[in-house]
Amino acid sequence: MALIRFQDLDPVRHLLALQQELERFQRNPGFNLGPSGYGAFPAVNLFEERDGMVVIAELPGVEPQSLNISSQGRSLTISGERRRENLTDSAGYHRRERPYGEFSRSIQLPETLDLANASASYTAGVLTVRIPKAETARPRQIAVQSQ
Amino acid sequence: MIPDQEIVTKEKQQVEGTEKTRPGRYFVPDVDIAESDDMLRLWADMPGVTDKDVEIVLKDNLLTITGMVDARMYNQLSPVYTEYNVGNYYRQFAMHEHIDDSRIKARMRNGVLELELPKREEARPRRIQVQGE
Repeated sequence: MALIRFQDLDPVRHLLALQQELERFQRNPGFNLGPSGYGAFPAVNLFEERDGMVVIAELPGVEPQSLNISSQGRSLTISGERRRENLTDSAGYHRRERPYGEFSRSIQLPETLDLANASASYTAGVLTVRIPKAETARPRQIAVQSQ
Repeated sequence: MIPDQEIVTKEKQQVEGTEKTRPGRYFVPDVDIAESDDMLRLWADMPGVTDKDVEIVLKDNLLTITGMVDARMYNQLSPVYTEYNVGNYYRQFAMHEHIDDSRIKARMRNGVLELELPKREEARPRRIQVQGE
């Protein structure tokens, strides 16, 4: 497992190393998120950490109160709405590249995770969902009984 | 009333042209630009960029927007499946309007840069009264 350990790197090399790592796992066929077409919104990145998995998605311009995160079984659903800014009557657009509208995406996560204890945070337009490993999936020492 | 629509993810576009002094990928933020009589307004999607890490420069009618992402949130994470890459943001616009640079307002909100670029008084449209005889 290629754990990213670059606290010691300066920020520039740090970002470069991260970009290379992210590229290496681009649409990794060894990991199946379940049915979702190309271009599904939001795009997600999946990471492992010591105590579980982390789902990160870029959702700029979504008001936190219009963001819904739910889980059922192995499935995690991210839904919400991105609204366009209100313009005054006299204004006209020169460019309109930013997508807006409703979105909903479900991804399938490994059974070894405890989705009931997932936590989510949203900062600077980036959603982070942390899902701990299920108790049964954690390493356990088994005591040997002697007679 | 514009009907609701489903959003699709667009592939991030890398900045082309002049090479940056710092290595790594720079992406082109998606923008909306609207103009009204008294100002231009601009919104730029730069997820992961906070108000401390954005730089806006208007010089010789060239508006330059740079946003730096903080990669420290990825410490101790190892990717298993990825759909997008992360990087800094960079985009330039030639401004035709005469912008009053002393009154430019900018803020970051939920990863979106919101810019207000007020026009100078003399650049605003003026209705000219036609005098009758």
